[in-house]
Amino acid sequence: MNPDFDHDVIVIGGGPAGSSFARIAAGAGLDVLVVDKRKEIGVPVRCGEGLGSREVLAQGIDLPKNCISTEIHGAKVVAPNGKSILWKDDLTNGWVLERKFFDKWLCELAVDKGAKVQSYTRATELITENGKPTGVKLSHGGREPYVVRAPLIVSAEGMESFMARAAGFKTVHSLYDVDTCYQYEMKPYDHENLIEIYFGANIAPRGYAWIFPKSGKKANVGIGVGGNLANAKKNGNIDGADPKQLLDKFIASNEKLKDSSTLMDFGGVISVGAPIDEFVKDNFMVIGTAAKQVDPIHGGGIALAMGSGILAANTFIEAHKKKDFSKKSLFPYEKAWREKEGKSVASRLLLRKVLEKVNDDDLNHIFNNMTYNDLNETMAGRFAGPIAKVVAGRPQLLKVLSALIS
Amino acid sequence: MITIKHEGCIFCVGCSSVCPKNAIEAVGTRMEHYPEKCIDCGLCVKVCPANVITLHKGKKEAVA
Repeated sequence: MNPDFDHDVIVIGGGPAGSSFARIAAGAGLDVLVVDKRKEIGVPVRCGEGLGSREVLAQGIDLPKNCISTEIHGAKVVAPNGKSILWKDDLTNGWVLERKFFDKWLCELAVDKGAKVQSYTRATELITENGKPTGVKLSHGGREPYVVRAPLIVSAEGMESFMARAAGFKTVHSLYDVDTCYQYEMKPYDHENLIEIYFGANIAPRGYAWIFPKSGKKANVGIGVGGNLANAKKNGNIDGADPKQLLDKFIASNEKLKDSSTLMDFGGVISVGAPIDEFVKDNFMVIGTAAKQVDPIHGGGIALAMGSGILAANTFIEAHKKKDFSKKSLFPYEKAWREKEGKSVASRLLLRKVLEKVNDDDLNHIFNNMTYNDLNETMAGRFAGPIAKVVAGRPQLLKVLSALIS
Repeated sequence: MITIKHEGCIFCVGCSSVCPKNAIEAVGTRMEHYPEKCIDCGLCVKVCPANVITLHKGKKEAVA
């Protein structure tokens, strides 16, 4: 290693993206430092904890039992009028995780490969020389910041992404491209190992409510609302979305949940927009949710983050051999990600934007005319067949839905 | 000027994810607000799922 540097790479963030990157890079014998500003890796949990099994199995890693709360065999999607369709394919097989165990386990895999992980350590400043990043200032538990240097900085910072912003990436989220979510872990809830999704403007304006089953008759019950939607007067008397209020209303109207207990309040703001327009600059990479690599339909990012970490690490290993950390040398990661995921993410973003133009009555019509197979086709990005069926009885919908087949 | 009612905050960092000025950040175990960077745009108030951020309109000078 160049004596000017303390590590081969510094990874900011020990979530699924950062830990996956670190596992692969450390496994190739490189000196990897991962810092995470959270006091404990994996805490607090900020998501619905759903993960498709296909992606994980493809990576050849076995999830330990304590990371899995329960298995999922499909999704029940419910229209505003209550009609439901079962969506079941290889994409809907998966797990609801115990995310705090899962994140820590992924991080431990990196440590097992030789990565150095440091919790409760916040990157306070990006260090640059001649405009190029060469290190970061770190503060451990709020103590005096110190400088650590590496030829490559990787932002795996999730939604906050301060170092990526400092490096010039446009990672700030717009209200239109986020859903604001509130969630409870609840018990008891008798479930059928299906994820349940409820649509309707009265339930969740530009969004939906969900019930993710967990072990022991528990469930994560949450709601996500378009961040740009003004449906409540908030503190300071300004317009905003109030998901907690809507979630309480949803639960009160649900016979199976209204008397159940809450065991945890959690939630967050999820990205449902497009990936950022560049993932790499000289001496800097952005991976996972920090790069807005999420599914724009549901904001899910765990599997994409893990995949992104692996692609980026493979590029880093090559760049390290050449001792070249220029944007050009780091670009194969971005190219590979866009080739692998770009098309499906773009298609689902389009679907999200079309769905938000459809009112409840149209949505009911769509559900009334769709079968199990049509829903599977739609979620796989093959829109033509289902659209033909839907517009047959309601031609005016073609105007909105045609965006999907152009 | 915004204020955060920390009791009720679920520490989701949604506010900082939409803040155009890096004026709010997860530090330690709570959200830290940097008033000198804040432009009172109110985006954090709109997005907060727990509804714990308040914008005090027109009081920036008085508070500062």
